[in-house]
Amino acid sequence: MEIHEGAAAAGDSVLDFSRLNLNTFSADSVSDERKRDTKQLYLNNNRLASLPSSVSVFCNLEFLDISNNGLTAICEDITRLTRLKTLIAKNNRLDEFSLPKEFGSLQLEVLNFSGNRFEEIPLEFMKLLRLQSLSLGGNRLKSIPAEIENLTSLELLYLGGNLISAIPPEVANLPYLSYLVLCDNRIQSVPPQLTRLHSLRSLSLHNNLLTYLPREILSLVHLQELSLRGNPLVVRFVKEMTYDPPSLLELAGRTIKSRNIPYSPCDLPSNLLRYLDLASKCPNPKCAGVYFDSCVRHIKFVDFCGKYRLPLMHYLCSPECTSPCSSNPQSDAESEDESSVPADRLQRVLLG
Amino acid sequence: MENTEVVKPETLDELIKILHEIFESDHINVDEVKAVMEAYESNPQEWKQYAKFDKYRYTRNLVDEGNGKFNLIVLCWGEGHGSSIHDHTDSHCFMKMLQGELKETQFEWPDSKSQGDMVQKSQRILQENKVAYINDSIGLHRVENASHTEGAISLHLYSPPFQTCQTFDQRTGHRTTVKMTFWSKFGERTPFETTVSQENN
Repeated sequence: MEIHEGAAAAGDSVLDFSRLNLNTFSADSVSDERKRDTKQLYLNNNRLASLPSSVSVFCNLEFLDISNNGLTAICEDITRLTRLKTLIAKNNRLDEFSLPKEFGSLQLEVLNFSGNRFEEIPLEFMKLLRLQSLSLGGNRLKSIPAEIENLTSLELLYLGGNLISAIPPEVANLPYLSYLVLCDNRIQSVPPQLTRLHSLRSLSLHNNLLTYLPREILSLVHLQELSLRGNPLVVRFVKEMTYDPPSLLELAGRTIKSRNIPYSPCDLPSNLLRYLDLASKCPNPKCAGVYFDSCVRHIKFVDFCGKYRLPLMHYLCSPECTSPCSSNPQSDAESEDESSVPADRLQRVLLG
Repeated sequence: MENTEVVKPETLDELIKILHEIFESDHINVDEVKAVMEAYESNPQEWKQYAKFDKYRYTRNLVDEGNGKFNLIVLCWGEGHGSSIHDHTDSHCFMKMLQGELKETQFEWPDSKSQGDMVQKSQRILQENKVAYINDSIGLHRVENASHTEGAISLHLYSPPFQTCQTFDQRTGHRTTVKMTFWSKFGERTPFETTVSQENN
């Protein structure tokens, strides 16, 4: 097989075999020097049904693009590419059974499997500890595994266009995550733990099944892009909120805590001591109340710039507990107590 | 006249030259501009220096200032990137696909006292080399790259040029005025211009 003229001209370390209608790929005609020097190999837009083992002769390969073939499997030999940092395999027929056993041993930083047939994020991916960017857009994923938190270097996670119905709170344990894309899925709620994603700059949630967002989302200090369109977001104040009245145990616990009734380990059995330690403070800053299990899920409309209303949800200790600035809880234009949220942060969160 | 006959620009530079000539006059024939933009067959070699993508959102890359008569801009849309619903500040807006596809959703202007969802007029996918046209009397639109696997690149012509426009909240019709910025000008990245995103998405 002739070396494509374009490939030679592209530069010493780049080999371009894209768009050549290749059914197979053999590196026989590539010089030994070239095999050693090639850092980027383009095999995209051909007709390869499986990743040819011949790619492993490019021992210093850092970038491999095998997109737009008909790949159903990736050969074991790919694990010999110890320097491979970027693997792009978009628009193939790959699923979680297509990967070689030791796929997790690769030192990948960028992995793009968008436009394939993955129904699950394979656990092998969770061993890619250097992974900074993971794209699985346009697959058939139904969920995100909790083990995603192992990818501690992850900055970009693109999961748009799948069948995901929930976000595991473990996503919040990714300390460097700056771009999280979950658009075009079936997500009904956002876990409040996402507030821990201090590096998050862009959050894409459009075209899901969200009716409200957790109040905690306001704490995402660096968030500059937020897409919410195409969600059935609540626009009117919802008066009927489910509220299970507190048990006697809870009422007693609340009284002890809110009135600071002193107690010591010798006064109470250990199970009650543990119970009292579980008290949560009511988020209403003007309320000193606490709650244990029984709380009200309250949807409140936060008014930004007097124009946009974002339905946020938080927990209050009782239906009577309301925000300090809302004199009329039936109003559907309640304003957030603005001193609790800095003005510049208010303007950055854009709503739709 | 069924088909507007135009000279076919063989390159992007030729297209720009023809546009300069067309816009010498004060009266714009929308069909003529559309036809000449559509006749140019997109060649990535000719515009790749303007095709600068950003991870987080779409970028606007100024190509030509049209002697003050128009702005010609290359927009780069990563997977899933989209714009707000916006107007065009009384200017003509022509949009040609250079690579990939974009979804355009048109909306009616909201009533001044409207409280509910904005009314959608139409939706279409714009394919490579096709040109769409809109102005404020036609309505408002949102443009987005609905693909999860491919970026999209479009060529926009705005005449007269404008620096601000209004963005609209789809659920309420409320509007804000925003300032538009360039990611790059004439192929050079212009970082200090970029402000916090003002998109309403």
